Amino acid sequence: MVDSYLKERSSKDWKKSEKHGAGEWLAERWTSVALIVLTGWALWSAYGLMGQGYEAALAFVKVPLNAGLLSLTFVITVWHTHMGLTANVLDYFPNARALKLISALFCLVLLVAALGGIFLAFKA
Amino acid sequence: MSQPPSKPTVYRPLSPHLQVWKFHITMFTSILHRATGLALVVGAVLVAAWLLAIGLTASGCCPQAYTAFLTFAASPFGLFVWFGLSLAAFIHLTGGIRHLIWDLGLGFQLKSANALSWWGLLLGIALTIAFWAVLLATSKVVL
Repeated sequence: MVDSYLKERSSKDWKKSEKHGAGEWLAERWTSVALIVLTGWALWSAYGLMGQGYEAALAFVKVPLNAGLLSLTFVITVWHTHMGLTANVLDYFPNARALKLISALFCLVLLVAALGGIFLAFKA
Repeated sequence: MSQPPSKPTVYRPLSPHLQVWKFHITMFTSILHRATGLALVVGAVLVAAWLLAIGLTASGCCPQAYTAFLTFAASPFGLFVWFGLSLAAFIHLTGGIRHLIWDLGLGFQLKSANALSWWGLLLGIALTIAFWAVLLATSKVVL
């Protein structure tokens, strides 16, 4: 059974990252490490802002360091999310291009919404 | 070896399906890592909505945006969602750290792998309880 499995479905036939080597694997790991730090900071900030109202939230986003870190957090979050969603899709629906496209579009909209919000608040 | 498939579709090994697995903790926490990752997509949407609400209110084009966001976020259902998201976040965090430990080539003995899975799961739950205990104790959240 193992032999026939190998003959019918050689590892050479499997679509794998022959073009970008370990790049995506490493990106998954390094975005994870970055998110441990960034979401820790975000959680701490959220704790401070909780119950403080709109003015405090706006003042927080208007600080350049906070706006920069929020943007960085979102870029890395969306990158990590996209890799995670794609991995889930590929494991169960290996040929579902539509699902991969929906995942990519969703991530793009999420990023535009978050960065757009930060930009509008920062410029106001 | 066989020729590349002539069909336009490409063969990939599929993940094992649930019915062929006997329950064990590393399998359960692996599934949980994926499930919490998917759940956290909702969290990313809510945080993006919060930022957009601040921006839209500040720009003056939609002055009620922040109030509308708070109406949801501070409602009993909103608090339930935040609680679920914090649980997913802490379990995904400890699960992620577990995976990073494994990626370093450590903890692959059956006993260590099982222990890491249990400790990650329990620590994730404990951190969630501690986080909400602090929120309630400092009146950041009032039920």
